[in-house]
Amino acid sequence: MSVQTREPIIRTENIKHTYSSGTPFEFAALRGVDFEAYPGEYIGIIGRTGSGKSTFIQHLNGLLKPESGKIFVGGIDIHSSKEEPRRARFRVGLVFQFPEYQLFEETVYKDIAFGPKNMGLNDTEIDERVREAARFVNLGDDILERSPFDLSGGQRRRAAIAGVIAMRPEVLILDEPTAGLDPQGRDELLANIDAYHGERGATVIIVTHSMEEAARRAERICVFSNGKIVMNGTPTEVFREGDALAAMGLGVPKAALIATRLRALGVPLRDDIYTTEDIKDALIAIKNGGDGRAS
Amino acid sequence: MLRDITLGQYFPGNTVVHRLDPRTKLIMTVVYIVALFMAKGWLSYAFMACVLFGMIFASKIKLKTIAKSLKAIAIVIVFTAILNMFFTQGEVLFKLWILKITREGVLMAVKMTIRLVLLISGTFLLTYTTSPIALTDGIEALLNPLKKIRFPVHELAMMMSIALRMVPTLIEETDKIMSAQKARGADMETGSILHRARALIPILVPLFISAFRRADELAEAMESRCYHGGQGRTRMKTLGMKARDYIALLCGAGAIAVVVFANLLL
Repeated sequence: MSVQTREPIIRTENIKHTYSSGTPFEFAALRGVDFEAYPGEYIGIIGRTGSGKSTFIQHLNGLLKPESGKIFVGGIDIHSSKEEPRRARFRVGLVFQFPEYQLFEETVYKDIAFGPKNMGLNDTEIDERVREAARFVNLGDDILERSPFDLSGGQRRRAAIAGVIAMRPEVLILDEPTAGLDPQGRDELLANIDAYHGERGATVIIVTHSMEEAARRAERICVFSNGKIVMNGTPTEVFREGDALAAMGLGVPKAALIATRLRALGVPLRDDIYTTEDIKDALIAIKNGGDGRAS
Repeated sequence: MLRDITLGQYFPGNTVVHRLDPRTKLIMTVVYIVALFMAKGWLSYAFMACVLFGMIFASKIKLKTIAKSLKAIAIVIVFTAILNMFFTQGEVLFKLWILKITREGVLMAVKMTIRLVLLISGTFLLTYTTSPIALTDGIEALLNPLKKIRFPVHELAMMMSIALRMVPTLIEETDKIMSAQKARGADMETGSILHRARALIPILVPLFISAFRRADELAEAMESRCYHGGQGRTRMKTLGMKARDYIALLCGAGAIAVVVFANLLL
C-alpha cells in the first residue's frame, strides 16, 4: 500500500506530557513524540509498562492535553477550539484497557447506544449503528436485551468494544484489548477487529505487550521506550532488531526467533516470518520440495 | 485532573517532622488546634503563624502545595468571613437595606479567616508528613486505653487504614472511568444542573460496582492470609518515642504557654 502519498488521518508534532508536574511524584511520560497514521493502516504499538504508550493514545482523541506539541486529526488541530476535542473523540474511537468496567446501562443495547446518542443521532440511525456494531463483535439480538452484568467476561469485553465501534470512528485505538482473555476469546476478538478494519476501511491502532499479536496483523509497528518512539517500521524491519528490542525489555515473536535460528542453520526461510502459521507453512513448503522463501 | 488533588495526600520525605512518631504528631496537632482556639489577640495570632511557618519550613513542604489545598476550601473560608462580617453586632460602618457591616464584624472576619487558614494549613501538615499506615498505627496506639471499655480500637484503625488506602485507588478508578465515558462522547462540563447530574450515572454505576468488587477481593485476600482481627497480632514496625519526640512535646506545651501569655499582653 502506498500510504505515503495520502494525507495522514492522525499526526502528532513533538508532543510532551508530564504527570503531577511540580510535585515529588513528577513523571515525564512523553518526551517528544512524532507520529503519523494513514487511513486504512493497521498499526501495532509495543513497549514496556510505563513506556508512555497508554498516555500517548489518550492524546490522540484529546482526552489528555499535551504540555507542548500539536495533534492533528484529519488535518485539524484538536486543541484549536474548546469543542474540537469532543469532535475528535467521535472520529478517533478509543477502547481502554479492561473496557468492560465502563458498562453501566440496564441492557447491552442501551450501553452500546451511549456513544451514538452522545453524537446527537436520531433513533433509527442509533438503532442501525448499534446492530451493526453488535454484528461486528458477534453479539446476537438476544444478548442485546440482556443486562451487561449477566454476560461472560469475553462477551462483556466485546459489548464494551461495540460501544466504541457504534460511533463508526475512522480510527479505532485499542489498549491491550486481549488482556485477560483465553486464547479462543483472544482470537475471536482480534478477528472482530479485523472485520471492522476490513469492512469499514478504518485505521486500527492496537497497543499490546504481545509481540505475536503485534506481528499478526500490523503493517507497521511503533516501539515506545522512555516516552519516545524509538523504532518505527514494518514488522520485518522492527523484528530484525532483536538485540535492541531485548535491551528495551521486549522480545521478538517466538516464531521469528525460531526462523532466525533455522536460517542460521542454513534452512532457506523468507525473512517475514512472525507467526506460528507462517513458519508452519514455510516448513511444509520445504518438506514438499518447494522453496521456503516464497510466500 | 482529579489526580492533582493534594487534599490529605502524603508527601514522602526524610525531615525531622517526617521522622517524628505519629503519636507525637497527632498530639501536637491537637495541641496546635487547642492553642489556635485559645489565641485571642493579634500577638498570639502572629505567634501561631510563626509556629506554622516554622513547621512548614522544617517539613520542607512547598508553600505552593499548601496554597493549593487551601484553594480547595476557599469557599468555606470566604463564606465564614462574609457571615461574620454581616452578623456581628457593633459600631456600624456601612449600611445597605437590612445588611450592615460593623467594625467588630470586619475585625472578626479577618480574625476568622486567619484562624481558618492557620487551622487548615497546620492540620494538613499532619497528613502531608505522615503516611496513612503510620497515622492509623498512631491512632490505634493512642486509643488503646479504650479497649478496656470494649471499644473496637483495632477494627476502627483497620477500617481507617483501608479507607485511606482506597482513596487514591478510587480516584484513579474514577479518572479512568471518566476518560472511558468521555471517549464515548460523554459531556460532563456543559448543560443544566439536571443534565450534569444525569451525566454522573455512567461514572457512578461502574465506580460502585468496582468498589464492591474490590472490597470483596480484599476481604478474600485478608481471609486467605488468616486475618482474624487484632487479637494476638504483632507488628512489623513498632512505634517508639525518641528524644526528638519528647522535645517536640515540650515545645508544644511551651507554645500553649506562650499563647496564654500573649493573650494577656494584647
